[in-house]
Amino acid sequence: MSLLELQDVSMIYGNVKALQEIDLTVQQGEWLALMGPSGSGKTTLMNIIGCMDKASSGSIMLDGVDFSGVTARNLTMLRRDKIGLVFQQFHLVPYLTAVENIMVAQYYHSMPDEEEALAALDRVGLKERARHLPSQLSGGEQQRVCIARALINYPMLILADEPTGNLDETNAKLVLEFFQQLHREGHTIIMVTHDPRVAELAERCVVLEHGRIINRKDQRMVCREEAIS
Amino acid sequence: MFWQMLKGALVRQNRKMFMVAVTIALGVSLTTAMLNVMLDVGDKVNRELKAYGANIVVTPRAASVLREIYGLENSSVGAGQYLQESDVGKLKTIFWSNNIVAFAPSLETQVAVGPGNANVVMVGTWFTRQLELPTGETVETGIKQLKSWWTVEGNWVKDTSVDEAMVGTVLAGKLNIKPGDKMEVSLPDGLRQTVRVQGVFNSGGAEDEQIFVTLPFIQKSLHLGGKVSKIDVSAITTPENELARKAAHDPKSLSLKDWETWYCTAYVSSISYQIEEAVSGSRAKPVRQVAESEGTILQKTQLLMMLITILSLAGSALGISNLLTANMMERSREFGLLKALGATDGDVLLLTLTEIGLTGLVGGVAGYFLGLGFAQIIGQNVFGSAVAINVMVIPWVFVSVILITLVGSFPAIRMLLALRPAAVLHGR
Amino acid sequence: MTKQSMYFTMIWHALLRRRSRMFIALLAVAIGATVLSGLVTIYYDVPRQMGQEFRSYGANLLLLPIGDQPVLAETQMISAVRLLPPDKLIGIAPYLYDHIKVNEQPLLVAGTRFEAVKKVSPYWQIRGTWPAEDSEEIVLGAEVAERLQIEPGQLVTLAAADSDGDKKVKVAGIVKTGGSEENFVFVDLSLLQQLLHKEGMISVAQASITANETELTTWTQTIEQQVPGVAPRLVKQVTQSEHTVLGKLQALVYLVTIVVLLLTLICVATTMMAVVTERRKEIGLKKALGAENRSIILEFLGEGLALGTLGGLMGTVLGFFFAQGVSINVFGRGISFQPLIALLALFVSIGVTGLACLIPVKIATDVEPAIVLRGE
Repeated sequence: MSLLELQDVSMIYGNVKALQEIDLTVQQGEWLALMGPSGSGKTTLMNIIGCMDKASSGSIMLDGVDFSGVTARNLTMLRRDKIGLVFQQFHLVPYLTAVENIMVAQYYHSMPDEEEALAALDRVGLKERARHLPSQLSGGEQQRVCIARALINYPMLILADEPTGNLDETNAKLVLEFFQQLHREGHTIIMVTHDPRVAELAERCVVLEHGRIINRKDQRMVCREEAIS
Repeated sequence: MFWQMLKGALVRQNRKMFMVAVTIALGVSLTTAMLNVMLDVGDKVNRELKAYGANIVVTPRAASVLREIYGLENSSVGAGQYLQESDVGKLKTIFWSNNIVAFAPSLETQVAVGPGNANVVMVGTWFTRQLELPTGETVETGIKQLKSWWTVEGNWVKDTSVDEAMVGTVLAGKLNIKPGDKMEVSLPDGLRQTVRVQGVFNSGGAEDEQIFVTLPFIQKSLHLGGKVSKIDVSAITTPENELARKAAHDPKSLSLKDWETWYCTAYVSSISYQIEEAVSGSRAKPVRQVAESEGTILQKTQLLMMLITILSLAGSALGISNLLTANMMERSREFGLLKALGATDGDVLLLTLTEIGLTGLVGGVAGYFLGLGFAQIIGQNVFGSAVAINVMVIPWVFVSVILITLVGSFPAIRMLLALRPAAVLHGR
Repeated sequence: MTKQSMYFTMIWHALLRRRSRMFIALLAVAIGATVLSGLVTIYYDVPRQMGQEFRSYGANLLLLPIGDQPVLAETQMISAVRLLPPDKLIGIAPYLYDHIKVNEQPLLVAGTRFEAVKKVSPYWQIRGTWPAEDSEEIVLGAEVAERLQIEPGQLVTLAAADSDGDKKVKVAGIVKTGGSEENFVFVDLSLLQQLLHKEGMISVAQASITANETELTTWTQTIEQQVPGVAPRLVKQVTQSEHTVLGKLQALVYLVTIVVLLLTLICVATTMMAVVTERRKEIGLKKALGAENRSIILEFLGEGLALGTLGGLMGTVLGFFFAQGVSINVFGRGISFQPLIALLALFVSIGVTGLACLIPVKIATDVEPAIVLRGE
């Protein structure tokens, strides 16, 4: 059974058709890259998959559960339990330390657990920076904290929206290495990007244009060419 | 471009700046209301204090009439001198005529009312007489205006009547007199007169054992037509100070300049002096019990109002400045962007200050009129009269608005200038 | 760490590590609480303080003998006085009126206790000095002094109207009031009682008490019932006018307080709203992390309550000091701490701050996190 299945999903804002008849299936353990020019709808699609928005029509099944008709409150719960988010602008609570930021995610899920949070930081190589405030961390370090946070509740699906967009070369490399490790460990990753080098790390690539998937036929490893053209 | 940005800023931010404008309007309205009230309260409280009755007593210069208290014997009625009733109107011709709120001339004698009541004081006076002044206006005055604390069972005497009388409640109790009764009084020379009791009054003082009749009635009875022995005056005065006391003791001891200052200020001593000038053969003395206390209470009220005004002004100033700072902080990203785009500190400063200035102006004008409204609400509800609108308040308000907005923006602006665009844009 | 302690940790850090923002919010609340506490204290204190000022007008209560009696016993006066609250009684001055001869001239005399007169009738102006305690010095009314051409320091002969011996006494001072006092000779009460052989008798006692009209009426009734022989009377000229004027002053302070309060409340509310609005991104983030609206609202409420409490405490203390300052500068007297007002100020601060937090948070949590997180 696929982990994520979208059937005929559309999103309409007033007159604007942001997404049209999207069919998408993602298997467990896959690393999918979402590409397309700006305005193509990739962010909207991410928001729907990430349970931050409801589709106008179509069905969305996650782990066998149809959440297209679900209430906003239940969406929040789903998001909390099953999805880990990493944003382009590393959103951390500015007045909490690194470890506290991770504990916030635990707090809303179930119970804060400092030891687990520290272990998570250790996994991203930031154990010594646990008590530092975001303002004291570099961009790359902040993003890594975000990744650690995204993982803390053992999500089924990791959604990353241009995670290296705000990072320099070195840090971007570090972060991507980490995603690769996650992939090796069997995590399912959907990543929005328009950096072809990032896309080529993925197994599969879906390209959007004007709200439609334009490469239905061939979604494997053609990202590089697609990106260039 | 500057104006375009400004317009954009104001229009986009209109909700936030609207809140700021509203707060400034409220602050200004408070300032306006408080200042207007504070400047007028002295006058208003002074009028309220007139409720205490006469603060100046006018007597014939050479007389030494002994009055009694609490129904004791009087050893002698003073011989000779009286004041002219026709001079009473001259009270309203002195320099301070507008400060003379109420006055009543009187003439008294002792009468006997039946056995065992040989020494009852009978007073002839004006109750609420219409007086035509030499200037042509009419003024209504008498003991009804002067002694506001009297309560009357029955009716007041009409000044035009011939033999109507009012009896004090203690005397009425002793003699069992009710409104509508007739009373016989025996004058010192043996003559008997009958009066018709219109009402029984309660004054809570010595008058409760006296009989009050019209002035013409007693003048006729005593063959003293057109004469009065004293005039009680209630005037609005300025509290006494060193100069006034020196003058009260001896006006001639003052230098010319001091004398003019004293004469042209409504001290109780200078009003008394001017009354003496107007009413021939008279001596006018402040009733210390009333005059001094008035002065003290007035001063304290004004000081109290001033301190409250200061507190409220400080409170609203701090509140507004706080709001401005918070508002600025909210927009730090926007300013960081401008700086990143190449705006100098000066540019950002100018834009911000103009924005704040315009908002302050709009808020300030609206607030001024709102404040006048508040002041009137306060005046009507507390004193039952309108608060005098003092034009001097406008420059004060103007200055304070500018000060508040400048000082209020100061911490925010300091913060703005210290902004590093990179930090702000990257969300630190 | 438990969920509760995490909750408090978040609130604590939100307040502590965002010092400049929170300071501004705290300041707004403190100002509001100061104004509230200060003005409300003054409002409740004005009648008491001003009331005492009005005592300068003199006696507001008289104790007279009942019926047609010319005199009453001093002991009766003392019994009546015992029924009055001592902390509010400014003074009680007994008077005994009669005739006397000064330098062979028949005059009205009043025997009294000068120390009491100073308290009850502070408007007496004395040229010369008050009589020394326990001396036989006397005071002349201004009219009398003028007629007899006597100056302070001179000696006069005092003799009872119908009697035998006489006494030489010194005139300590001359009293000017513009009122009936100027026609009297004032002598120490005991001395006069002795001269007239009227030991223990007085004609009337004048009392000056800080009280409003209703309180006075109640006491007069009590005295009437419990001390037969004494007829208490209110001096309406004084009590009624005081009642009117005080009422107006209080109404004035009341209205001013309301207006000022309204303004400061709005300032607090808008400041709080601005501070919370700034954190919209944080709210969006928390929602993205799976926080329910309720959790977020509770967090901000917690911060608001903490701010309200701290600001409220500061403001209450400052407000008290302000009111104290006003009282001392205007009336020359201090005020006592009023716990009720302090509690009121505190609760209002907490309430207003909490509410001012809630509204923007409610609005912010209704927004989809996606919108906020994408940036402006």
